[in-house]
Amino acid sequence: MPISLPFCPVYAINKGEETKNKHMDTLTSLLVVGFAALIHASFQLSVSVLTMLSSHTIGAKRSHAKLMRLTLSFIAGTKIMTLLLVSFLVLVLLDIFGTQIPQLVWACACGLLVGVGVAVWLFYYRREKGTSLWVPRSFARHLNERSKVTKTAAESFSLGLTGVISELLFIIGPVVITALVLIGLPSIWQLVGLVIYTVISTLSSLIVWGLIGSGHSLSRIQKWRENNKQFLRFAGGGGLLILGFFVYVNEVVFHIVGGGM
Amino acid sequence: MVGTAVDVVKRGGRRQGEYFLREKLYASIIAACLSVRTPVGQAESIATAVCDSVDNWLEDKPEITSQDIRIITAKHLHTHHPDAAYMYEQYLITI
Repeated sequence: MPISLPFCPVYAINKGEETKNKHMDTLTSLLVVGFAALIHASFQLSVSVLTMLSSHTIGAKRSHAKLMRLTLSFIAGTKIMTLLLVSFLVLVLLDIFGTQIPQLVWACACGLLVGVGVAVWLFYYRREKGTSLWVPRSFARHLNERSKVTKTAAESFSLGLTGVISELLFIIGPVVITALVLIGLPSIWQLVGLVIYTVISTLSSLIVWGLIGSGHSLSRIQKWRENNKQFLRFAGGGGLLILGFFVYVNEVVFHIVGGGM
Repeated sequence: MVGTAVDVVKRGGRRQGEYFLREKLYASIIAACLSVRTPVGQAESIATAVCDSVDNWLEDKPEITSQDIRIITAKHLHTHHPDAAYMYEQYLITI
């Protein structure tokens, strides 16, 4: 008897359909999800906000425990919003296309990846000193001001939620591909994929949190980020292009070749 | 707070009729120093020294921009604490 879970993010469970992707086995699908999450992790807005939040908290002479609580709440916010975002997209795509995603949708998603990849190469960082990103300045100022006035864990949590939404323009590619891949997985592996994506995509924030917690200087962290920003941009954009190409070959080209045989 | 009689033009040309406030600058330097884990006493003495330098620089200037203050402050702060100066400079260009 199928389990009834009306709010389950991986809606395929409800239908009792153990779907299987035609061209990607479970391991390959999970690797694609992991790679997409790594690309997501290379985007820097959440890390920038986390750095500012830590800087303001230490600068305001708040205790180390308070610093840890605020930064951990921030990371929890980013994790929850990432989880909700991917789950929401899975639901929407499943509702529109069912478990069999048309090749046109895969092709569009791959096009999106390539487009975002090129955009990351060209525009991700502003052409100036520092690590300021290509997000509207008013929005960046708002995040900066919010990180300054954040005093409670709840405010910090909501800042984490906002941080993920703010970089939606860049993370939309990996999130869409992850949602499409998850739909094609057996139900239990969908949950595993969701957890893998959420954990890996917030890995960079977790590493920075660990460094701050162990007493590393914020200036060293920020200097590293500034010195390596071109590499991070190249890796993020390149990763999106590679992922787009791989998924296109797996889901579109193989299907056309297989269909023609 | 009592400000020095120098008009500060804010970012984007917005004129708010604001005088230069030493206390505001002092607090921002303290925050920059503390963010790189400088002891409080050292942060306070650095902030006092940098504020004095900026005050001297301001003496013959009737009008300045907030960007001018940031540049001059970062320059003087760099001589006392390069890491704090770096964080001070990064304030507006991190996100």
